[in-house]
Amino acid sequence: MTQMIKAQEGIITEEMLEVANTEEVSAEVIREGVAKGEIVIPANINRKDRGYVAIGTGLRTKVNASIGASKDYPDMEREKEKLQAALDAGADAIMDLSTGGNIDQIRINTLEIADVPVGTVPIYQAGIKSIDKYGSVVEMEAEDIFDEIERQAEAGVDFMAIHCGMTLEVLERLKNEGRVTDVVSRGGGFLTGWMLHHQKENPLYTQYDRVLEIAKKHDVTLSLGDGIRPGAVVDSLDRAQVQGLLVTGELVQRAREAGVQAMVEGPGHVPLDHIETTIQVQKELCHDAPFFVLGMLVTDIAAGYDHIVAAIGGAKATWAGADFVCYVTPAEHLGLPAKEDIKQGVIAARMATHAGDIAKYGSKASKLDTKMAEARVKEDWQEQAKLAINQEKVLAKSKGVKKEETRVMDEKAEPMELVANYLQG
Amino acid sequence: MTQLIKAKAGKITPAMKFVAENEGVRPEVIRSEVEAGRIVIPKNKQRKVKFSQGFGKGLRTKVNTSVGLYRDYTDIQTELKKVNLAVSLGTDAVMDLSKDGDIDSARREVLKATELPVGTLPIYQAAKESQEKTESILNMTVDDIFKIVEKQAEDGVDFMGIHAGLRLEVLERLKFEGRVEGLVSHGGQILAGWMLHNQQENPFYKEYDRLLEIAKRYDVTLSLADTFRPGAISDSLDRAQIQELIILGELVDQGRDYGVQMMVKGPGHVPLDQIKSTIQLQKELCHDAPYFVFGPLVTDLATGEDDINSAIGGAFAAAAGADFLCYVTPVEHLDFPTEEDIRDGVMAAKIAAQVGDLSKGREEAWRKEEKMAKARKELNWEAEINLSLNPENAKQVREGRNPAGSDGCAMCGEYCAIKVVDGYLN
Repeated sequence: MTQMIKAQEGIITEEMLEVANTEEVSAEVIREGVAKGEIVIPANINRKDRGYVAIGTGLRTKVNASIGASKDYPDMEREKEKLQAALDAGADAIMDLSTGGNIDQIRINTLEIADVPVGTVPIYQAGIKSIDKYGSVVEMEAEDIFDEIERQAEAGVDFMAIHCGMTLEVLERLKNEGRVTDVVSRGGGFLTGWMLHHQKENPLYTQYDRVLEIAKKHDVTLSLGDGIRPGAVVDSLDRAQVQGLLVTGELVQRAREAGVQAMVEGPGHVPLDHIETTIQVQKELCHDAPFFVLGMLVTDIAAGYDHIVAAIGGAKATWAGADFVCYVTPAEHLGLPAKEDIKQGVIAARMATHAGDIAKYGSKASKLDTKMAEARVKEDWQEQAKLAINQEKVLAKSKGVKKEETRVMDEKAEPMELVANYLQG
Repeated sequence: MTQLIKAKAGKITPAMKFVAENEGVRPEVIRSEVEAGRIVIPKNKQRKVKFSQGFGKGLRTKVNTSVGLYRDYTDIQTELKKVNLAVSLGTDAVMDLSKDGDIDSARREVLKATELPVGTLPIYQAAKESQEKTESILNMTVDDIFKIVEKQAEDGVDFMGIHAGLRLEVLERLKFEGRVEGLVSHGGQILAGWMLHNQQENPFYKEYDRLLEIAKRYDVTLSLADTFRPGAISDSLDRAQIQELIILGELVDQGRDYGVQMMVKGPGHVPLDQIKSTIQLQKELCHDAPYFVFGPLVTDLATGEDDINSAIGGAFAAAAGADFLCYVTPVEHLDFPTEEDIRDGVMAAKIAAQVGDLSKGREEAWRKEEKMAKARKELNWEAEINLSLNPENAKQVREGRNPAGSDGCAMCGEYCAIKVVDGYLN
């Protein structure tokens, strides 16, 4: 039984209680959200000893950190360090997107070490196996994909990005419209190659019921992948993208009818003034399914600083209703992120979602900000460090400073005190 | 004669032509916007440089970098290195906010180091000199203050932050409403303390004409400072802040009537959902005077990362109509910025300005995006790096995150979606 089926039957599960507690809402609110499909709790029944995180309407906006080894960087220890960096920085979920090294073992490690939901994109490994077996991604059999999904579900993966909405119809629209960047989603790219090579419909679409069956059995939350998302702000909100979203909306509805938890992945590259529309259209077409966005990146000309670009877009997306934000690191578009990039990416995304949550939820979300303001007035560095999203830099500063010193150092304290006395008097 | 007076007289100046060419608009458009006060070209008559920079309606969103001597950090060469770095990264203006050390020399050297508009906050120097002469800031006289303004104008300062909207009545409103953080503007604190101690009205307000006369003589653009800008997002858009903005609006009108170019400074700490209102209100109350915002910062929990914090707010502010963004470094609220912090601060503000310009629909900004999209589609790494806002950094990241000599990308390698799909679609 999935969380959703239980919720629909009126059962408040342990998982619901735990997330209700962290979110400071009643368990009934969580149950109702899960029953409707507006909240998901990605929690594979095969995975034990872990924390639970809920994503969706009315909840704190969550941050995902995607990591993983690649062919060029297959080292497993390096992956463990990256995972730890993401967790230490405060990621709410981890996606292991490994495409190189010992992929199975890396996933096992990630599931063991992380206390948060873990996601994957099964088609990556299916594609890589296909290259080994048949010499090409496009030669992969439909069965290979389903086997891989099943295997990863059994291993305990909590949520999976699956590109079921990438159909021939969507590709036709892409061709008709013309776009600068065509397909930039890796999973979407594999499937596009497969469909065009075989001149056949996407098996994940034609046999969607099989996907649902596996997901239901293990309570895997589907993260319906946006294989057709634009890869540049100039391509945002084109007909292919919106067509993909439309199909995805239907798939959300079918998932809910099957009792499977589903969220929807979103772009990507979106100019600031397209973000609100992008989110609203998703919420409408997908009947308020939790929206998991990448970034969003609001300009393409800041390579090397895409964590900052994503912070801008992520803040707006959060405000407009995105529920789950995938971080972007400074290495995006340039290479595979290292440990320090991952840390920066998570911190930037946490700032963005927090700023967005303040806009979305008002003073309920800004309590800590007010505390920080008070700590600044008091020049209480310890308190400031405790409250900061990234404590490290504040701690470094606070060690060297005593309160009396700052006063003595500031020769201009006299007028400040006059003003302070006036305002307090 | 100021640019504003010439514009009113129907004259297109070389500075207006320069700005027009740089921005890709007709000189007459610049002239008429300067006349309306919606564009300013801060350029002191004493400065004999060819370069001119416009700020305001229809122009590219600009970025300011602030440097200056402070406490133990009184080495002018260190600050000049920061100026050069900021200029190389594409800052559009520089403010010398020196509060200590040899303030005169610092300012003169900064003016020599760059052709970009240079701004100051004269009250800092007035306070410092009073402190030195009389051992208290509170003893400075009205004449002392105006002498500093005059001296800095004579040196060629192009724009000055002036706290003319600070009045006792606003301070009373602040006291009545209550606020987590009282006054966080340093210049504002100095003046407010002086006013309370001496029981006198703000000289910049009371003798505003005296200020305008100097500004007009040298064509110094006034940047009316927001003394009452909130210091925390929970204080944003309170009555003291708005009261001052109303007064600043009146001062903008008076300045324009006098023939002085005027812009207005803005906050500061503003939650995302209040940025648009903040900008719109300023534009309305100050009759579309160019708006120079500090950040804004959209959360107070980002100590150590306030460059990114301000990129979020700056992008929103620019999209909503802010014309000029003051950078914020990662060590804001923590420490005195190093060169590395300056680099981070300038780049974050440049990104915000570009994002804002996309929302403003600036064609030039969109053309850059299109070029980058094509470079990526073609997997043209050299072009991608050169089209980046900071090519040097992009190159460094690329080299550090891929195996040596790689011509692919270590993220996806042979599984690159663009590569996989390209063969089939095209």
